[in-house]
Amino acid sequence: MSRNARRGWLVATATMMAICVFAIWQSLLLSLTDRLGPGPGFFSFWLSLLGVLFAGLLILDVWRKPVIESDETLFPRGESAFRVLIIIGAVAGATLLMGWVGFELAMLVFIAVLTFALGERRWYAIGLFAIAGSFGVYYVFTRWLDVLLPPGPWAA
Amino acid sequence: MESLGYLMAGLGAALSFNNLLFAFAGCVLGTLIGVLPGLGPAAGTAILIPLTFNLDATGAIIMLCAIYYGAMYGGTITSVLINVPGEAASVVTCIDGYQMAKQGRAGSALAIAAIGSFVGGIVATILLVAVAAPLASLALKFGPAEFFALMVAGLCLVVGLAGRNILAALLMTALGLLLSLIGMDPVRGAPRFTFGIEELYDGIGFVPVVMGLFGVGELLLAAEARQTHLIQADLKKWYPTRDEWRRSSGAIGRGTVIGFVLGLIPGVGAIVPTFMAYVLEKRISKNPERFGKGAIEGVASAETANNAYANGSMVPLLALGVPSSPTIAVLMGAFIVNGLTPGPFLFQEKPELVWTVIASFFVGNVLLLILNLPLVGLWARLLKIPFAYLCTGVLIFCIIGAYGLKQSLFDVWVMLGFGVLGYILRKLDFPIAPAILALILGPMMEKSLRTTLEISGGSFAIFLDRPLALALLAVPLIVLAAIALRPRAFANLRQTDIE
Repeated sequence: MSRNARRGWLVATATMMAICVFAIWQSLLLSLTDRLGPGPGFFSFWLSLLGVLFAGLLILDVWRKPVIESDETLFPRGESAFRVLIIIGAVAGATLLMGWVGFELAMLVFIAVLTFALGERRWYAIGLFAIAGSFGVYYVFTRWLDVLLPPGPWAA
Repeated sequence: MESLGYLMAGLGAALSFNNLLFAFAGCVLGTLIGVLPGLGPAAGTAILIPLTFNLDATGAIIMLCAIYYGAMYGGTITSVLINVPGEAASVVTCIDGYQMAKQGRAGSALAIAAIGSFVGGIVATILLVAVAAPLASLALKFGPAEFFALMVAGLCLVVGLAGRNILAALLMTALGLLLSLIGMDPVRGAPRFTFGIEELYDGIGFVPVVMGLFGVGELLLAAEARQTHLIQADLKKWYPTRDEWRRSSGAIGRGTVIGFVLGLIPGVGAIVPTFMAYVLEKRISKNPERFGKGAIEGVASAETANNAYANGSMVPLLALGVPSSPTIAVLMGAFIVNGLTPGPFLFQEKPELVWTVIASFFVGNVLLLILNLPLVGLWARLLKIPFAYLCTGVLIFCIIGAYGLKQSLFDVWVMLGFGVLGYILRKLDFPIAPAILALILGPMMEKSLRTTLEISGGSFAIFLDRPLALALLAVPLIVLAAIALRPRAFANLRQTDIE
């Protein structure tokens, strides 16, 4: 295991352990047992306790593993990192926009931005794909498949 | 005999125009998903759920099942043509399939894969018909203690075979179960872990979570790698020679048995039967040195086992309500979305639906054969779709799928959050499959355990009084102990997390 991978495993496992500790606390706020038997906090309490145990053992296991010195990075850099971040950002932006301007406009912007950022440079191809993926998809899903999507501000 | 009557009625329903159309659309979309690198059957099935939102339950399940086995076959095309498995189970196909393509025999490899998949799928479905109904009848005698023990056994088998690190798999299972507890307490109706957020009262949606973990997570990984492929294969001559037929027939038979039997065991994963079938063929071959250099029986055995597994793995889902892999868990989620709980009661309450779905497997396998033999060249062209369009298109489906079920933008955020989480966990090589299965089984596990303990007045000794429950609870202990004591013996049986 490389040093970076080990660091990643330790951070991830510690975070999971913290979630389990938090769940123990939350379970204790619910009743563990009541007059009918196990209460709402029963299952989550014992599960979280097991989670803490597994996380603790995993941290020890990872800690004891020999470290291999290497330049290998866990997460991408440069152009690869840009592509990953632009996808996350574009979905987040589209989700925010959808609440205000509806599916069609949000998707129009989302598709245009993302296809351009991922390397497409032909404006007519971007435009056609954006229109088909926003207005076209909206029409197909709402009219043909009866799936409700966020309407635009002009919808009555 | 009763089963046969139901099956015949189911076949009639499966051959109705609408259901035939859903099976056809599912096979086409599934193959498309399988062909596109970076999207496995679990992701494919999850992201295509929105297409079935407003279909009737039977049509929706038929279509999603067709997507599943279509995707299982679709992965073969990329394995043979460009040495990139479309999904985990096709890894073994790459070994000889790509070598055959380099020798100008890509058509033969793809044809024998389609025929092997067809035979494996049909025979496994016949065996499913024979096994599922009696197993479901037996399961009807189960009480909550047995169901709880069954789910624990299933989960532990998944954990045991889920990855290199058992502790990580156990931790992911615990977290998956904890996540499933968010929302209203199923027994008392009290809100839990909702923190006053209204959207959490219904719990964390299964569809946004799997779309995030599999769909968005896999796209982020693909975006990081960004590969482009060139196809250089002659697909004009696609029918195998007489010698190739002779070599493949035995492999197809053995692959069918291996695939079906391993499909019955939760947690084995599709890669194990394909690997075992391949190794068996190599061991019994008079010329084992041909393997790895374009042996057609290597392709036939792996692909047959793959499809027989896909149909065999429907047995624990339909008869017991226990999903055996993440993809089957996604299908189980689709059943639940449609107001159906897979398991023995479904055979009793909705026999016409269950048997129509089972009958549709026969129809789907025939459709797949028809689609895949002559249209291989067309599928291969899909590999030329630029990543910018592929990625954006899949994300549109993910957003619609996450939003469409409850018309909630909160679910789109959940999908994105789990997408990032899935990406990080995959980068670290954490096993994701146990968490997905735990997420779907969690509410039922909790309800079974609490009902059992209410019956016994809070005493765990009730499990000692129920021999079947005790035996089922012993399974995980034996498996986990065996893995802990002889880890190397199990190393080859472990499932990759790609699925």
